[in-house]
Amino acid sequence: MSIASEAAVRNVNVSQCVAEAINLEMDRDASVVMLGEDIGRSGGVFGTTRGLQRQFGPDRVRDTPISEMAFTGMAVGLAMEGYRPIVEIMFVDFIGVCLEQVYNAAAKIPYMTGGAVKMPIVFKTAGGCIGSAAQHSQCLWGLFAHLPGMRIVVPSSPYDYKGMMAAAIDSDDPVVFIEHKGLLLRKAGSFAHGREVPRERYLAALDRAAVLRPGSDVTLVTLSLTVGESLAAAAVLADEGISVEVIDLRSVVPLDFDTICASVAKTGRLLVVDEDYLGFGLSGEIVTGAVERVGTSAVRHVLRHGVPDVPVPAALSLEQQIVPRQASIERAVRKLASRS
Amino acid sequence: MSTLTLRDRYLAMVRMRRFEEACLAGVADREIHGEVHLGIGQEAIAAGLLGYLTDEDALVSTHRNHLHALAKGVPMYPLMAEIFEKRTGLCGGFGGHMHIFDLPRRFSTTGIVGSTLPVALGHAYAARLSGRASVAVGVTGDGGANAGGFHESLNIAGSLRLPLVVLIENNEWAISVPFEESTATATLAERAVSYRAWGKRVDGLDVLAVASAFGEAVDYARSGLGPAVLEATCYRFRGHYEGDPDMYRPAGDRDARRRDRDPLLITRESVVVEGGADPVSLAQEEQAIADEVDTVLAAVRRDLMPDGMQARDHVFTRGTAR
Ligand SMILES: Cc1ncc(C[n+]2csc(CCOP(=O)(O)OP(=O)(O)O)c2C)c(N)n1
Repeated sequence: MSIASEAAVRNVNVSQCVAEAINLEMDRDASVVMLGEDIGRSGGVFGTTRGLQRQFGPDRVRDTPISEMAFTGMAVGLAMEGYRPIVEIMFVDFIGVCLEQVYNAAAKIPYMTGGAVKMPIVFKTAGGCIGSAAQHSQCLWGLFAHLPGMRIVVPSSPYDYKGMMAAAIDSDDPVVFIEHKGLLLRKAGSFAHGREVPRERYLAALDRAAVLRPGSDVTLVTLSLTVGESLAAAAVLADEGISVEVIDLRSVVPLDFDTICASVAKTGRLLVVDEDYLGFGLSGEIVTGAVERVGTSAVRHVLRHGVPDVPVPAALSLEQQIVPRQASIERAVRKLASRS
Repeated sequence: MSTLTLRDRYLAMVRMRRFEEACLAGVADREIHGEVHLGIGQEAIAAGLLGYLTDEDALVSTHRNHLHALAKGVPMYPLMAEIFEKRTGLCGGFGGHMHIFDLPRRFSTTGIVGSTLPVALGHAYAARLSGRASVAVGVTGDGGANAGGFHESLNIAGSLRLPLVVLIENNEWAISVPFEESTATATLAERAVSYRAWGKRVDGLDVLAVASAFGEAVDYARSGLGPAVLEATCYRFRGHYEGDPDMYRPAGDRDARRRDRDPLLITRESVVVEGGADPVSLAQEEQAIADEVDTVLAAVRRDLMPDGMQARDHVFTRGTAR
């Protein structure tokens, strides 16, 4: 890393990057409003909205009661009035009490109206395992992704947290923006990728994957916190003579099959690492989509490494068995690479 | 009316406080992973429940559930072991502190705010179906009372006259949002009329006041008249969860409340001054309780975590998920 780029790494954590993006959008567009629990006075349980209420006032940054069904639906009404609401569902697990307004209203209204009504809503929420057991550890991007009508974005780096939040707010489509609780409090400087976060406004593409590490033996497709884990694993595996190409999906809907397939066509081996449940979800979608596009002769071996279809247990000894992290990712790559 | 004395209730409160302090030690030593919610400062409410419920009656609690578990008679050892994620816990370490289940005592919890009352309603309906003269207590915080499940459950209970007792612990804050900012009415008890329910608001620092009001609520529901709503006021002494910087509440007010309005100290004072308790024997009993909790904590700490190889068990009653 050069001295110049080291100097560009700011002493901010990921939550501050998110707050900065929202701040810049609210500042330039008075129609951006925010609703959610503990986003105002406290600035968010992870600090992703810190300072916003002080700057924009309680009408635009509204601390709501614990009434998710109501304030999620409010966003739909506000969107019809021309506003661009950001709704925070504190933990993605809580979507169970208000999914109705998300998937039956926000996601379908643009289509049901023949394109006449836009739903420029961001559903911002935090997922991921940090030791909080079955009801506070899920990722659920696959759940949203199954339901048509929403863009689903899942950034992995400080740069993308800021740039993709800005682009999500800027988008005229409903966007589900899923943060990882295990990344939000990490400093930009602790990341291996996307550490440099400009102070000024910028938009990062919502629908493109990124090749973060080129490689020739295995294509490893992943997202969110397991991107960093995979990069670390790839570095270890390189010493063992296994060359891993690491792709950060960034967007779950739509999936960037161009990037995935170009890599798979080269390596012939596809590993999907997903912290969401394995069954009926993202990993199966990627493998199927890749095979459909490049053909079974080009994809010689596939493997999926995700949370086996069990709820996330409380005890660390159990959790470690089911949540993909660097060591288990290394094992999965070795297994795949050993197949001829 | 229950036969428990003020002294009995006070000692139960001491046991609850010591229990929560043991959990604090587990947080400090990183034995409990995940954010744990303690009920310190709210003991007079839980201790007020004692004496009115049997194992036939259900109690469904929230993320802040330890004191309710103790009040429902859940044994301390497997309760603490579950909170510490040990294989000796009530759920073998699979549930953790927000997911405490003791089926024989009809005690359960959820980490999803607003999801307690619907489950309690199911217990109340089961009582009706099975012809049991039991009640179901659903606990919520003031914040949880604004979730849709509150309205839906109470309306069903009211229309079917089900024996649902809603206990609202109004500790003035839902994480960083103060009660008066989130709630349309000055009290939550006044919502009772909308559901043809019995309703009362009580000082939740006064254990005898809670006990007598809770007794009334249970009697009302048990007699088949329909649901009851009891709002008990209190104050959350600590951050929302252990680790919460708690910067959103005025620190001066918080410190004063903790110093001057500690239900444990208030109740002890009554036990000594009004009840004429001998301070020496009382101190001995307090010490015995502290020793009991210390012994449990030491034993729990020696227990093993669950075997990682079992992580895929229990998804279905038989066979594996995949
Ligand atoms: C459906 C849902 N929304 C939000 C949360 C996050 N959350 C957990 S506890 C809490 C505040 C609860 O306040 P209250 O009901 O007053 O109980 P207290 O914590 O004060 O005991 C919130 C918002 C959740 N667990 N579930």
